[in-house]
Amino acid sequence: MAVSKKSMRWIPWLLILPVVLIRIFTTLYPILATIKNSFYDIRILAGVNEFVGLANYMKIFHDPKVITSITFTIIFVLVSMALHIILGVGLAMILNMKFKGRRFIRTIVLIPWAMPTVVIGMAAKWAFNNDYGLINDFIRWFVPAYQNSWLINTGSARGAVIAMDLWKDLPFFAILVLSGLQFISGDIYEAAKVDGANGIQCFFRITLPLIAKNVLTLCIPFTLWRLTSFDLVYAMTSGGPGEDTALIAYRITTEAFTNLNVGYAAALAIMLFLVMALISWINIRFMNKIGD
Amino acid sequence: MKKKTISIFLAAAMTMGLAAGTPTVFADEEYDLTLYSIMTTDSDFDDWLANVEEATGLNINVIAAPTDSDTRQQKITTILSTGDSSVDIIEVNDEMCAAFKNSGWLEGLNDTVMTEDIRGEFPQGYMKDMITDKDGNIIGVPGYSGYLAFWVNQEILDEVGIESIETKEDFLAYMEAVSGDGRYGYGGSWEKTYVFNEIAQFVNMFGGDYFDWTKEENKEAIQFLHDLVANGQTPIDQIADKYEQMNPKANDGKYGCWFYWGMGSEYDNEGMLSDDKIHMAMVPDFSGKGERSIFTDSWSYVLNSASPNKEAAITFLNYMASEGGMEASYKAFARYPARADVAEKVVPDTDPGKEMYSRYASECNVNGRPMVAQTMEFISDMGTIFQSCMKDEITVDEFCEKAQQLVETYQ
Repeated sequence: MAVSKKSMRWIPWLLILPVVLIRIFTTLYPILATIKNSFYDIRILAGVNEFVGLANYMKIFHDPKVITSITFTIIFVLVSMALHIILGVGLAMILNMKFKGRRFIRTIVLIPWAMPTVVIGMAAKWAFNNDYGLINDFIRWFVPAYQNSWLINTGSARGAVIAMDLWKDLPFFAILVLSGLQFISGDIYEAAKVDGANGIQCFFRITLPLIAKNVLTLCIPFTLWRLTSFDLVYAMTSGGPGEDTALIAYRITTEAFTNLNVGYAAALAIMLFLVMALISWINIRFMNKIGD
Repeated sequence: MKKKTISIFLAAAMTMGLAAGTPTVFADEEYDLTLYSIMTTDSDFDDWLANVEEATGLNINVIAAPTDSDTRQQKITTILSTGDSSVDIIEVNDEMCAAFKNSGWLEGLNDTVMTEDIRGEFPQGYMKDMITDKDGNIIGVPGYSGYLAFWVNQEILDEVGIESIETKEDFLAYMEAVSGDGRYGYGGSWEKTYVFNEIAQFVNMFGGDYFDWTKEENKEAIQFLHDLVANGQTPIDQIADKYEQMNPKANDGKYGCWFYWGMGSEYDNEGMLSDDKIHMAMVPDFSGKGERSIFTDSWSYVLNSASPNKEAAITFLNYMASEGGMEASYKAFARYPARADVAEKVVPDTDPGKEMYSRYASECNVNGRPMVAQTMEFISDMGTIFQSCMKDEITVDEFCEKAQQLVETYQ
């Protein structure tokens, strides 16, 4: 008996129904619950649960801890992404060169990326210690009297967090850029050389335009990962000194799971979600423009 | 036909995968009560449990609490706040006691376990500050007694020719004599969530009140700590240090004295715990009136109000509050008995901490740490402004002003 095409249309829906139901329960429901909670003052330890409208959202703009977190998050994302792009493209170019042991180097550069962030954070806490840390030990080879506690001053602590973030994720970014570089035909460079182009001209006129879309595509997830980064700071600085390295995702986690201020944490999470959506939209628009 | 075969094969593989992923369900073993414990990772836990089961005649189901403190507090808060009855007895620390004691989630134990005949044997300040709710109900059985003890490096004391640190003047003389060339008279753990212990300790030593920052004594205490930093007698570096970072420095002889919890296993492991190296000492008397203050802490066993197994739970708690239960904990986990009479009987004189712990109990004002319901938020905020003050980002006066605001917000 032949089954009509029309009656077959519901079969794909039936097949994906379990996944859709799981998604509704595990993703859609928590999102809706978070939106609802953001309009309530829910403080579990104080036994408070009452509707407050937009008060949680208004509080965000007056809370010095959150403002510090937003400031550092902006610095973290901008500096880290700028360095990801500059150093990542540079590293990718090096890895694209022909040299002995290239395959081995390509493999080992990915080791930091494969390590759990919490482990890196804990190791970094020791690495930046003035008395026992390997960073200062290394510096003391050249400057024997060098003394600096990296994690006690705002600037150096923030720098250390960004450095560790780069150490971990830069190789992965570079490997992904490398995959774009490998699609560029060698013929183009040869033609450019015949026309008298030097290395710098080749990079800016050929390489960069051809990998730009690839790099911008990578920037979307890498930016979003930076915005939601929590574990590095959790293990490395606990947001300190003071609140100076508390990224916004760390602040949300602290409010939600340590302070148990669920309503306020939900409002912060929604704000972060909107910012992430906006950044992604801008990035995609920019990418499309380049594509055109 | 080929597509159909592949579809059937994939469907069969999926079904088998689902079937394989389904856990095999065994019939539940009958338990008398469920204990949510932090001690399960201890190598002697099974022996301890066997001892408790034998002594109480209970068959106890044990759930391991998460080792991460935040996760643990979240889970326990969720269990208690939702009226989850799957757990009967929970081990909670001081922070959780402060958060939960007035919530109604925990059963009062005045008439059943913490009866008048044994109440007097527990540290009274701790009982009052930590495990008594606003209506006078005692909501927990302390599992042990720990002190925020004063530790000294005897080798350094001998080197500078100071016999003991009894007063503020002795303390300052020691700071002066010891500090220099990468060594500091006083060392601490000033990470923002750890420094709370030391701020409160110094406030107490100066005769202040942690919940009243208008008092001159509080300001004096903060000024004192600030001066230690300014004079190079304690390192500002320690604002990044938790105890994991502080203790190696203590073992390496970088600190002349410090405050730390426990019996000194971190020093013992490095061969540094002895009367001529690192040892506990009496807390100095900064007040000049012979008054010495010390904090005690504990993990207490509490009874979930929603528990359906209260009778069994009370049997368990009675054992934990008895000599037998405390002895079992001391032998298995080296937890110093919370009851003074039991400690006297059970702890041998050869225990290096016994003499000092007995002296702390008898010569000091023993208190629980000053905590509020939203403890972690309060602790963290106080730590943040303290770090700012020590780094000269705010003055001592500004610190006291902000601290008072925080007290008013959270208390």
